Amino acid sequence: MLQFLRFTLIRAALAIFTLVLVSFIVFSLMELVPGDCAERYLAFKSSQGSVITLADIDIERVRLGLDRPYLERWIKWIFNAFQGEFGDSCILRLNIAELLGQKVWLSIGISLASLVLAYSIAIPVGIIAATSRNPFLNNSLRLVSYMGLALPNFLLALMIMLFSTVMFGNSLTGLFSKEFRDAAWSYDKVIDFLQHVWLPVFILGWSATAFAIQTVRALMSDEIGKLYVTAASARGVSGRRLLMRYPARHALTPIINSLGFDLNRIFNELPIVALILTLTEAGSLLIEALARSNDQQLAGAIIFFLTAAIVGINFLTDIILALTDPRVRRSILG
Amino acid sequence: MTDTADKNFDANVDQKSKEAYFTAGQGQLIWTRFKKQRAAMIGALVLGMLIFSGLIAPFMTPYDPTIAGRDKAYLNGQPQVPKFWDENGFSARPFIYTYSRERSIKTNFRWITTIDRDARRYLTFLPKGDKYTFFGIKGETHLFGVDKGYVHLFGTDSTGKDIFSRTFYAINTSLAVGTIGVFIAFVMALMIGGVSGYYGGWVDSVLQMITDAVRTVPAIPLFMALAAFIPDTWSAEERFFFISMILGFIGWPTLARRVRTHLLTERNQEYVLAAQLCGASAGHVIRKHLLPSFTSYIIVDLIISFPYMVLSETALSFIGLGLKDPVNSLGVMLQNVTSADVLLNYQWYFIPVIFFITLVMAFVFVGDGLRDAADPYGDTKK
Repeated sequence: MLQFLRFTLIRAALAIFTLVLVSFIVFSLMELVPGDCAERYLAFKSSQGSVITLADIDIERVRLGLDRPYLERWIKWIFNAFQGEFGDSCILRLNIAELLGQKVWLSIGISLASLVLAYSIAIPVGIIAATSRNPFLNNSLRLVSYMGLALPNFLLALMIMLFSTVMFGNSLTGLFSKEFRDAAWSYDKVIDFLQHVWLPVFILGWSATAFAIQTVRALMSDEIGKLYVTAASARGVSGRRLLMRYPARHALTPIINSLGFDLNRIFNELPIVALILTLTEAGSLLIEALARSNDQQLAGAIIFFLTAAIVGINFLTDIILALTDPRVRRSILG
Repeated sequence: MTDTADKNFDANVDQKSKEAYFTAGQGQLIWTRFKKQRAAMIGALVLGMLIFSGLIAPFMTPYDPTIAGRDKAYLNGQPQVPKFWDENGFSARPFIYTYSRERSIKTNFRWITTIDRDARRYLTFLPKGDKYTFFGIKGETHLFGVDKGYVHLFGTDSTGKDIFSRTFYAINTSLAVGTIGVFIAFVMALMIGGVSGYYGGWVDSVLQMITDAVRTVPAIPLFMALAAFIPDTWSAEERFFFISMILGFIGWPTLARRVRTHLLTERNQEYVLAAQLCGASAGHVIRKHLLPSFTSYIIVDLIISFPYMVLSETALSFIGLGLKDPVNSLGVMLQNVTSADVLLNYQWYFIPVIFFITLVMAFVFVGDGLRDAADPYGDTKK
C-alpha cells in the first residue's frame, strides 16, 4: 500500500512537471509569433475607425502586463492556468475560461468516446487477425486497416456528409439541432445531442480503429508463439479460454500504456473533422481563433487544455497499470 | 565419378550461398527478405512509378498547372477520353473531339458546351508546348498533346486548369514537402536520440523527459496555431519551406526514440570500447561506428514516417493553413473537392483523391514490408 502511494505521488509529480514543461513550450511559441496582444487589439480597434498611436499601444501593453519580463509572465500564466484561468482573449475581449466552458469537456468527451469505440472494435478484431490462419480474412482485415490510414478522416467526413445530404436531405452537421443550441441541458437536449454526436465519434474512431487493429495484431502475434502459451495448451486449455487467459492479457498491457498517445492522435484530427462537420466544440473554436483572428491567448489556452487531458490520461493509465501489475509499482522511475 | 562431381558441386553451391548469407550486409539481407513479400513488392512498384511520374511531371503533363496554362474555353470541363474509333470510322492515332462553349440568347445565357464529333483532335507525341525548367534544364517538349486546342484527360477545374497536369505537379510538391520534413525530423532525431542513447544516465533521462513532453503536445493544433501566423505577404516558396519545417518538427520525437533505443543496445559492444580505447571522440564513435551499424533500420524508419508527413501536409493545406492555391499540392487538390457542387456536378475533381490514396497506401505497404524485412527474427516468428 505504501509502495503504491509512493508510486502515485511520484507519478503525479512527474505529470505536473510535464505539464509545466509543456506550458513553457506553448507559451514560448506563442511569444515567438510576430506581434502581441496589445498590437492586435488596437489594430482591431483602428479598423473600427479610432485613431491609434504608438503611445496607445504602449499604454495597452502596460495594462495587459506585457511589459513585464518574459519569465515573470510565464510563471504568472502557468499559475493561473492551473487554476483554470487564462485571462481574456486578444480579440474577442471575453474571458477565455468562460468562452471555452463546456466546449472543452464536449471535445474531450467526444475524443474519449471515439477511443473507446476504436478499442472495442480493435481488440476482438485484432485478436482474430493475429490468430486466424485464413489468408483471405487476414488480407482483407489488413486492407481495411490500411484504408483507415490512407483515407483521411476529413475525406471520410466529407463523403458521409455529402452522401446524406443527397440521399436524406439531412446534412448531419453540428452537435445540436437549432432549437437546442442555446437551451439549458435537459432530457430532450441530451437525446438530440446523442442523435448528432455519433457521426463525429464514428469518423474520429475510424482511423483510430485502424491504428489500434495493427497494434493489437502485432502485439498478439508476438505473444502467441511464446512457450507459456504452448505450455497452457499442453495442459488442455484451448480455444477462446486459452487466448483470453494467457496471451491476450500480456499483449494488452502495453496498449493501456499507449492510450494517452492514441488520444493525442485523435486530438490531431479533431479540428479538421470539426471544421467539416461544423461542430461547435474547442477543436473548431481553435481553427476560428487561429484562422480568423490570430488570437494567441485563446490558442495557447486550448492547446494547454488538450495537453492536460493527455497528461491526465497518461497518469490514469499508469495508476491502473500499477494497480494490476506489481512489477510496474516497483519500477517507479524506470 | 559424376556422382562425386555432383556432390562437390552441391557442396560448392551450399558453401557459396552460406558465404553469401554470412557476408551480406544488412541492406542486402533486408532486400532479400523484402523481395519475398508480394504485397510490398507491388506497393514498391506503384510507389516507384508515382515518384517517377511526380519527378518528371513537367515533361509528362501537357500543360502548365498554374493559371498560365489554363484553357479559357473549357472551364469545369469533364475528362476527355481518347478514342480510336467512332461512327465516322477508325483511326490508328487516338483522337478526342472538339469542344466549344457558347453563351447566348439561344442557350438562355448559360454556358453550354457542345461536342463537335466531326472535328477530331488527334493526339500527338512529344509536341512543343508550355515552357518549363526541369532541374535547371529549360524545355518545352511534353510527352503528349493534341494537334489543335487542348486535351484534358482528367478534365479541368473552375478556372480551366488541366487537372491531369495539376495532379502530377501536386505529387511532386507533396513528395518534396515530405522529403524536407523527413530530413529535418531525421537530423533532429539523430542529434537528440544520438546524444541521449550514447551518453545514457542522467543526460538520457533529461532528454527523454523533454521528448516525452514534446510528444504529449497535440502537434496539428499546435502547428495550426503557428501556421495561422504566417503573414499573408509570404510567397508560395516561403510558405512551402515553412510548412516543411513544421512537419519536420512534428516528426522528430518518434524517430529520436528509435535512434536512442538502437544506440543504447549498441554502445556496450566491444567495437565501441575498442574505438574509445583508441582515443576516438564521442562524435567520431557515433558517426563512424555506431550509426553505420543500423543505417538500414534508420532508412526503414524514415520510409515508415513518410506517409504521415504527406498526410499532415494535406491536413494542414486542407484547412487552409498550409499551402495555398497557386501551389499544387495534394492537400490543395483535396481542398477543391469540399463543396457539394463538386460531388453533384464535377465528379472528376475526385481523380487526384484516388492518386493521393494510392500514394499513401503504396507507402504504407512498402513501409510495412520493409519493417518485416528489417526484423531479423521475422522469419522465425511465423
